[in-house]
Amino acid sequence: MLRYALRRLTYLPLSLFLLSLVCFGLQQITPGDPVDHLLPETSIRTAETDPEIYERTYRRAAASLGYDLPPFYFSIRNAALPDTLHRIVRPEERAGLRALTLRYGNWPLVQEYYRTLRRSSWNPDLPGDLSASLRRLLFQDDPDRIQRQVDALEEKHGQLDLVAAHANMVKGATRAKLLLPTFQLHGTANRYHRWAGRILSGDFGLSYLSRRPVSGQIKRAFRRTALLNGITLLVVYLIALPLGLYAAGYRGSRFDRWSTVGLFILFGLPSFWIATLLANFFTTPAYGMDWFPSMGFGDAPEGSGLWTVITTKAKYLFLPVLCLAYPSWAYVSRHLRRSALGEMKKAYVTTARLKGLPTSRILWGHVFRNASFPIITLLGGIFPALLAGSVLIEKIFNIPGMGLLLFDSAINRDWPVVIALVLLNGILTAFGLLVADLGYALADPRVQLGEGGVPKSGGE
Amino acid sequence: MIGRRTQSKKLAIGWLLFLGILALVGDFLANDRPLIAIMEGETRFPVLHEYGEALGLVDPYAPVVRNWYRASPDWALWPPIPYTAGKSDLKNGGYISPFGKQNTGDRARHYLGTDDLGKDVLAGLIHGSRVAVLVGFGSTLLSLLLGIPLGSIAGFFGNGGLRAPRYYWWGWIVGGGCGMLYALVSLRPYFNYPGFLVSFFLCVAAIVVGGWALQALLKLIPRLRKPTALPADSMVLQGIELFVNIPGLVLLIALVAVINEPSISVVILVIGVLRWPSVARYLRAELLRIRHLPYIEGAKVSGIPAWRILFRHALPNAIGPLLIVASFGLGAAILLESFLSFLGVGIPADQVTWGSLLKQSRDHPAAWWMAVFPGLMLTLTVLSCNLLADPD
Repeated sequence: MLRYALRRLTYLPLSLFLLSLVCFGLQQITPGDPVDHLLPETSIRTAETDPEIYERTYRRAAASLGYDLPPFYFSIRNAALPDTLHRIVRPEERAGLRALTLRYGNWPLVQEYYRTLRRSSWNPDLPGDLSASLRRLLFQDDPDRIQRQVDALEEKHGQLDLVAAHANMVKGATRAKLLLPTFQLHGTANRYHRWAGRILSGDFGLSYLSRRPVSGQIKRAFRRTALLNGITLLVVYLIALPLGLYAAGYRGSRFDRWSTVGLFILFGLPSFWIATLLANFFTTPAYGMDWFPSMGFGDAPEGSGLWTVITTKAKYLFLPVLCLAYPSWAYVSRHLRRSALGEMKKAYVTTARLKGLPTSRILWGHVFRNASFPIITLLGGIFPALLAGSVLIEKIFNIPGMGLLLFDSAINRDWPVVIALVLLNGILTAFGLLVADLGYALADPRVQLGEGGVPKSGGE
Repeated sequence: MIGRRTQSKKLAIGWLLFLGILALVGDFLANDRPLIAIMEGETRFPVLHEYGEALGLVDPYAPVVRNWYRASPDWALWPPIPYTAGKSDLKNGGYISPFGKQNTGDRARHYLGTDDLGKDVLAGLIHGSRVAVLVGFGSTLLSLLLGIPLGSIAGFFGNGGLRAPRYYWWGWIVGGGCGMLYALVSLRPYFNYPGFLVSFFLCVAAIVVGGWALQALLKLIPRLRKPTALPADSMVLQGIELFVNIPGLVLLIALVAVINEPSISVVILVIGVLRWPSVARYLRAELLRIRHLPYIEGAKVSGIPAWRILFRHALPNAIGPLLIVASFGLGAAILLESFLSFLGVGIPADQVTWGSLLKQSRDHPAAWWMAVFPGLMLTLTVLSCNLLADPD
């Protein structure tokens, strides 16, 4: 038991590490430059008028985010690429340099071209249209297009330093160098290390949209989702347990037949459809049945009594909780019925019957304990399902919780928020599964965990 | 009781078949071109012609016909629903109910109503079933492709069944990994970043060469010649465990929202990859049971090679449970697809799906037909899949 728990606990950080790698990787490949979100509006305006000052501001902002560091603890890369490429902070320029080096294989000449290009693009003596096209060239990352643009420049403006440097680079190509890979260690001064360290200390950075700390936003949303899901969980078990147990106890009765069919259909009804229908019919005036408020979370006015708070909340939360709960309660009662049916065949139940105990005493006093063990693991599967379900339910009923926050920030590419939410969900999911498995083993000492005997958990 | 069960399973299979046929022949059922038309003394097959154009076999008709109604052919056989999904009919715009007054002239009614731009809801439903079938079957196939090999190796061979000298395992795993990295880091730029297929073959070739070379090299070290077993079961179980801890749906939303151009194939890919653990886990459990059955023991004793036993004798016996997990996965994938298009992420905005119709109904709650019918299709499909997957 203890060994199993320890083994599961070692998985937890490993899974979270992998999840953080996925998030970090996603963050790296997403289009959009995070440094831009850090710069004040005024300095973005100087980009056109005074590129040198802008460059300096940009560099400082990038350094504060750690963007002048290598991405990871080590790198495996083409030997033609220099080990200092990460110091070029502008992502567009870095991509261009990378592509050129991987085409021509000769870093010193590529660097010479890049220096010439930068020097001449900042040169105030050049005519405006030329320096504008030079600056465009700086953001170009396709070698073929660069070739074409340089050719066009030569045609228009005659021999420039830049054209010579480009020709030099093409002539001095050493493509054989591309065939060698290198491996390099970077130590802890890298982007991932800093990012992960900040997250471990609870600092998720600033939201791109609101420019406020992510953790505050999530904290507010989390409270609402936690309340919603907590009530839902309570409702699920309050309804599902008696339903499944009595269906098994009175097997074959009309109640059992109808509830089995009903629960099966209920389980198959997509909750977002039901939620859409309920929201359309009962929260809008379209059918004259707007009995429930359509928006928000129901914050009772300050200083009102407990009863007002409860009734306001109940009015707002009734439909969302219903929609969130019914798939799970159908799921739980179906499982409970099945496992209780297995128990009913056993000798101790026959004994209890022969003793003359009433059925409900048998069910609650004897069968329930034994039949409920598998239900504990279901908790592990329900937990992530509830979190995912909240996205839709919160969207449909406009509850500003974690699901809605996730949706809104994913749509708006507000990466710091999305990543914080994915990680948080990962932690909650993993933790829920762990607690459910351990709870199962604790409640039923017969369960053998460990070698291959991982109890079934999850949605199947 | 048993009779009723098989009957309802038959109904479920019937519905899924119906859905598949609907997806296949949808263009002939709902289309704003005629099936056959006689125009300018020439018999034309506009719907079929469309396929020919898409395949590059035929050229478009000489004066391009944009609107076959306005072109008024001499005689035409129209599909039963003469509207294409997603095409607006402005004369009938503004959410017209199936029973409302419709301004269609001699053209057929919008049987299930329209949306704000007069797009036909029934045509949208048919197109939606095509997307649902595509995503459902595609991602289920992918999850089976990933889950069957891993699950069957884990379950059939267990931790002790795959035995080979140490140099073999180390050589192939480390060498193959290095080969793949080399292909990605060096070979692709050297060959000027070829397309996906060439890159794929480059990778495979590098894996084979790297793995073979390293294991040939390691063979020279005597200590590595000792045979050991590959702990296949533990490896697959750990993989499953890692995947289970990842909040699939949340990650899915994050993933699909990042991708610049939403496309159906990305959705298929992501759903398929997220769902392989359930296939692998189920198949593993099934093969754990099967491999201890007497007939497998007998086959082992009579000296039939293990791989042959797995493919010829053990796996065919596990097809029943596989079908169960596949049909459950089908329902889940279709549900996920509607979920994503309801949220408006992942599926391209110009594709009409059940989810996108439901989403539209949120903008105009009074249009009950846009909420009820797509939901019914979805519910029937999910119920059928669940019914097929129900063990008792």
